[in-house]
Amino acid sequence: MEAAEFLQYVIAGLKSGSIYALVALGFTVVYGSTGIINFAQGEFFMLGGVLTVWFYGLGLPVPIAGLAAVATTAALGILFERFALRKQRSAGPLVLVIITIGGSMVMKSLARHLFGPDELSLPEFTPGPSIDIAGAAVERQALWVWGLTIVAVVVLWWLYRKTRLGRAMRACSISHDAARLMGIDTARIVMVSFGIAAALGALAGFAVTPLTQTSWDAGAAIGVKGFAAAILGGLGNPVASVVGGLVLGLLESLSVAFISSTYKDAISLAVLLIVLFARPQGLFGSARREKV
Amino acid sequence: MIRTRLAFSPYVAIAIAAAAVAAVPVLSPDRYLLKVLVYVGVNVIVIAGLALLFGHAGQISMGHAAFVGIGAYTSAYCVGHVGLPWLVGALAGTALAAAGGLVLALPALRLRGHYLAMATLGFNEIMYVAFREARGITGGGDGLGGISYPEVAGLSIDSPVGVYLLVWGVALVVLLLVANILRSRPGRAMRALHATENGALACGIDTVGLKIRTFALSAGLAGLAGALYAHSVGFISPGTFGLDQSVIYVAIVVVGGAGSLAGPVLAAIALTLLPYADALIPGLGKDAVALLQDWEADIYGIAMIAVVILAPAGIGGLLTRLRIGRAGEAHV
Repeated sequence: MEAAEFLQYVIAGLKSGSIYALVALGFTVVYGSTGIINFAQGEFFMLGGVLTVWFYGLGLPVPIAGLAAVATTAALGILFERFALRKQRSAGPLVLVIITIGGSMVMKSLARHLFGPDELSLPEFTPGPSIDIAGAAVERQALWVWGLTIVAVVVLWWLYRKTRLGRAMRACSISHDAARLMGIDTARIVMVSFGIAAALGALAGFAVTPLTQTSWDAGAAIGVKGFAAAILGGLGNPVASVVGGLVLGLLESLSVAFISSTYKDAISLAVLLIVLFARPQGLFGSARREKV
Repeated sequence: MIRTRLAFSPYVAIAIAAAAVAAVPVLSPDRYLLKVLVYVGVNVIVIAGLALLFGHAGQISMGHAAFVGIGAYTSAYCVGHVGLPWLVGALAGTALAAAGGLVLALPALRLRGHYLAMATLGFNEIMYVAFREARGITGGGDGLGGISYPEVAGLSIDSPVGVYLLVWGVALVVLLLVANILRSRPGRAMRALHATENGALACGIDTVGLKIRTFALSAGLAGLAGALYAHSVGFISPGTFGLDQSVIYVAIVVVGGAGSLAGPVLAAIALTLLPYADALIPGLGKDAVALLQDWEADIYGIAMIAVVILAPAGIGGLLTRLRIGRAGEAHV
């Protein structure tokens, strides 16, 4: 294989890897402050895409439509936490899993009722020919995907490290009880986490829709891949989630290059199962023993 | 008191169910109704197994549709390509699904709660890709058609009534088996495991072995249901065995109520009939049925959330309350 061809696969891998990273970050933010896995995370991705197309159809320019979609999805995430999950927080993880599964079924199905069963497409943010980098063609939209991912990661880093809210979120991820004793309104932190997770998922959906199109049933597949990325890096660690996303994207892309495209979707699933079984704390996590 | 207790013993319930099953073709030999009831019977078998695993032992599986698929494709392949008799094919499907469950359970059951949910979900997605891509065996995305009818001792069961009676006969035997397990030592061990795993360990229960055996049995029952489905419908395609269907199975057990068998079975009957309401209510218009089918997923999703939040014991809890109410009256 020539260098340029190899580079082309690497670029494709980093492109889908960025999307996985954003979705993985959504899983990580919710897991960090609540300890639950949100099975509706993939639906936030789907909503970001279809809502952008819908707002765009109303005549809004693409960037505004995207912002509106991200804000609407974040609001939905907050409402979902407030009205379906909050009162059940003390119930076991299984109950919360079931509620998020039920929520994802409803979101997905409502999206089909509202936006139709067809594939939806969106124009590229800046249409134009691909850019040549060392013999490999890079779509302009891919640059947007990377740019938006970097912006999201930087904003999230700033939020976590430099703001009062971020400090409260980190405190929650260590211990809810201790955080509450320090005067932190943990219920509000959990709600905000769902809003941020929904916004991250929606941003990914918005950024990638011009490349891949989207539809009401796009959420489940990306949800599984995003989770695989999060668990590969180590659930609850934002940096590890981003690395996990990029590694997963590269693995997938290189498996197409060297093995076959037929089983491309099975790669991330195999990674998911192998990591879950062999190293559930992820590549960067340290093993935690469960206290009895 | 004795009368009330007898009236609610599972054996009596199963005997009543058997009478009802036998009465249906006599009262209404409608082909469409019988076909719909075959779907219901297949789902009852899957749900009986999942109620054991999820409702009683507390281990979630988001991959049961994949086990149904393994049973269906294995049986169809054994009978169609290899030329084995149907009984052998169905047994092979059941055994392979159980073996698949065992292989998945060995590593997966070390995981808890949402991790187990994700692992089984990933397994379902992998099997879905396999069903779609292994064209030589499965016929790929277009599906596999022309599967022969079930055949017992050289006798082909090809009439709608025959297929219906076969599926429901197996379903009743499965229910009897599961009810027996629940009333004996393994059933008690499962409830202990569900309540507290450490407590169960402290009581000397081999929790790992119990989980693995329960998972394999549950997967095997799903495989058996798949083998029945393939040969009674005659056509299978990957879409039937996808993640969506697994989620529906979980929803049925949730609505039926954890810790109950009658509840999930009733939920399986009611929720499977929902999109085919016109088979029961002859006057129902096509529009109403189309509407029901269109909103099926919403109904499942909302029912699931509502039950967990408002009535965590589900239909099973409702039945228990009825029973206690009756017993109270008997005392007075």
